[in-house]
Amino acid sequence: MEWASLCTQLLVGLSRSMILFIVSAGMSFILGVLRVPNVAHGSLYMIGAFSAFSIYTYFGMGSTGFWLALLLAPVVVAVVGFVAERLLFCHLYQREHLMLLLFTFALMLILGDLVKMVWGPKYSSIMPPGGLKGSISILGSAFPRYNLFLLIIGPLVAVFLWLFTNRTKVGKICRAAAVDREMVGALGINVSWVFAAAFVLGCYLAGVAGALVAPTVSITLGMDHDIIIEAFLIVTIGGLGNIWGALVGSLIFGVTQALGVLFWPQFAIVFPYAAVVIVLLMRPKGLLKSVW
Amino acid sequence: MLKVEGVEKSFGDFKAVRGANLTVERGDIVAVIGPNGAGKTTLFNLITGQLKPERGRILFKGEDITGLPPYEICKKGIARSFQIVNIFHRLTVFENVQVAVLAHQGKSSQLFRPARKLAVEKTEELLQSVGLLDKAYEVAGTLSHGDQKVLEIAIALGNDPELLILDEPTAGMSPEETASTIELIKHLAETRNLTILFCEHDMEIVFSIAKSIMVMHQGQTLLQASPEEVRRDPRVQEAYLGGEVC
Amino acid sequence: MQKKDKWPWLSAAILGILVLLPFMLPRFYTYIIALIFVTALLAMSLNLTVGYGGMYQFHHGVFYGVGAYTVALILTKTSWPKWVAFLAGPLAAAVVGFLIGWFCVRLTRLYFGMLQISLGSLVWAIVFRWYSFTGGDDGIHGIPMPSFISSLKSSYYFILAVVTVCIYLLYRIVNSPFGRTLQAIRDNPDRCEAVGVNVRRHQLVAIVIATFFAGVAGVLFVVLEGSVFPDLLFWVLSLEIFIMCLLGGWFTFVGPIIGAAIIVSLRTFVGIYTEYWTLILGVILILLIFFLPEGVMGFVLERFAQGRGELGKRRG
Repeated sequence: MEWASLCTQLLVGLSRSMILFIVSAGMSFILGVLRVPNVAHGSLYMIGAFSAFSIYTYFGMGSTGFWLALLLAPVVVAVVGFVAERLLFCHLYQREHLMLLLFTFALMLILGDLVKMVWGPKYSSIMPPGGLKGSISILGSAFPRYNLFLLIIGPLVAVFLWLFTNRTKVGKICRAAAVDREMVGALGINVSWVFAAAFVLGCYLAGVAGALVAPTVSITLGMDHDIIIEAFLIVTIGGLGNIWGALVGSLIFGVTQALGVLFWPQFAIVFPYAAVVIVLLMRPKGLLKSVW
Repeated sequence: MLKVEGVEKSFGDFKAVRGANLTVERGDIVAVIGPNGAGKTTLFNLITGQLKPERGRILFKGEDITGLPPYEICKKGIARSFQIVNIFHRLTVFENVQVAVLAHQGKSSQLFRPARKLAVEKTEELLQSVGLLDKAYEVAGTLSHGDQKVLEIAIALGNDPELLILDEPTAGMSPEETASTIELIKHLAETRNLTILFCEHDMEIVFSIAKSIMVMHQGQTLLQASPEEVRRDPRVQEAYLGGEVC
Repeated sequence: MQKKDKWPWLSAAILGILVLLPFMLPRFYTYIIALIFVTALLAMSLNLTVGYGGMYQFHHGVFYGVGAYTVALILTKTSWPKWVAFLAGPLAAAVVGFLIGWFCVRLTRLYFGMLQISLGSLVWAIVFRWYSFTGGDDGIHGIPMPSFISSLKSSYYFILAVVTVCIYLLYRIVNSPFGRTLQAIRDNPDRCEAVGVNVRRHQLVAIVIATFFAGVAGVLFVVLEGSVFPDLLFWVLSLEIFIMCLLGGWFTFVGPIIGAAIIVSLRTFVGIYTEYWTLILGVILILLIFFLPEGVMGFVLERFAQGRGELGKRRG
């Protein structure tokens, strides 16, 4: 085992963590404000990746295509989320908690098949733009430039989220609603619209992650199933509804997975799950404070 | 029978109970009074194990029960009702009480005997004594608020308690319901050899049935004495009677 | 009283029809009905924890899968007597249920569910990846069955017999003091603890019983299909069983059977006409959430109760 391969593997793991963070931050945000684990989050992520592919293809498969895809695909996902929320979801807020959860499951089933209808069951892929193609050498071993790009984007999203929840009015209201929704209602704020805003932001983040991940994987049906369970676990070990917990959880998840690949490739997938179980056995309510 | 010594409990920075003392003799009817937020409900929760005290001791029949889980404390002979209605909404009235009787008889874990044949007499007797027998097969969630509060008491009696703790047994009741509930409590105390510890906002009720009153103020015990002494005590008047309520 | 007297007769009549069915129906339908039995048992076992226990048992499929894999592995990899395999399946499921439940009952509601998803996913990941032992994502196929249940008809009767016994046992459990106390815990765990019930222990026992029966269903699945695959432990299946309980009526005893029957037959017959089966399932689920939150049986019983009430009034 060389240091170089350990380092690159760690970096690969960290860049994977960034994707996971963006997905699970969105989920955690929805969970914090609406108290619902959004099972459809993986489907929204998948829609993000597929829309990115379509936009990328439409604009000639070049650098422009890529940047436009990165910009527009999340908007598509946010619109999908907004429509689902205003059309159906918002009528359920007074209902039992379990019904909300099952609604998101129904949404997942429907969106999964809609993706199949629109894009079909083929495999697609996106090339990163010019400057992000190829690899650079780190300690003598190759590291993809695009992953480096992810390592920069991840923290930027984190900063954006911090600014949003701490510096904007909507964000502050969302945070308050997460802690005490009666209070927010009593202040004369329309809670339903706060929920809508939180849901749409969460969906947007899922779209961002889907567009970002597109150049690193093959875009295909079923990519929703894997990410959703990972996001679930990350959110749980981070502390339900805590965005910074999602960050910590993603780092644990991505890094253990990368190390697993290095040490025992066949069971790489087991490592992060085992890490999650260990964390939960020690701290059943997650590492950071849950918002509720 | 029950002795609470210097019990303390805080939630975060807020000290809900700081040094509460209470003595309940067998056969007594003891009231705990105090303004809102004085820590009465918290004190009850500490006694029956819903909360664990940080300091102090709670003795029941000479035995230290501090910090035991609720189901253990219940088995020692302390039962309680809650301030907000706390029943099993989807079960029938009969089943509500039966669950408690079964638990008391140690039959809760029996797997294959049909429940409808067990503990029937005892359950019906209890329902009879609180006057809910004619509603035995209604779903508890559909009862009126007053009936639900009475059902609470019946559930508590299912454990054949020696000490019954009632947290605002008449909260939210109409004047008629309140009167009949108070009669019921008096009657139960006499016929079942119950010792009763309760808290209540209505001073008329408190002074009419309590033999001993403990006054709480800002989480502390101000004093515990007979109703006449409490009425005369200047500290009580200042902290409570002279304040917001009267 | 009337209702109580009717049920044994009704059950006997249904059982009689089910016994005759393989003689009247083509092979394919016999297979589908057997699959409904297996799935119904699985859904009922889940409902013991969800409908009666009020626990967020989110990953029930794991125990189904553990039961199935245990019997499959013992039958293919060892030369132990076959009955050992059939007994080991449910027991293994119950042991895993005990281990996972042990941690879950310390938590409530969503935390309970999330922890169970985590622990269950760990089991799934191991099964999914351990190629040399479990066959990985290929699963295990062509599992040899004892000769007396190797034909479809004989396996149909075996499944029918086992499921009938299990449903009877579940019925006894649900109506026992244990079951009643479990429902009380569902309605109000704090109050239940205050009347002297050890809530966590009670919940854990319920989970072990439920997982045992899920293991039985897993074994029966192997009897019917002769193969196992990791999707049995995947979370999608777990949520699908959850829907069955909800669809049939999770506060009723027979609800999950009806839910399982509806979902399995819909999947089979809709699947013939369209590849968009999950879309339809999603739409059904949404309709259910909005219009039938107590499920089909809950709806029927409510109507029934109303009808009787009006009848009573008219007589009075």
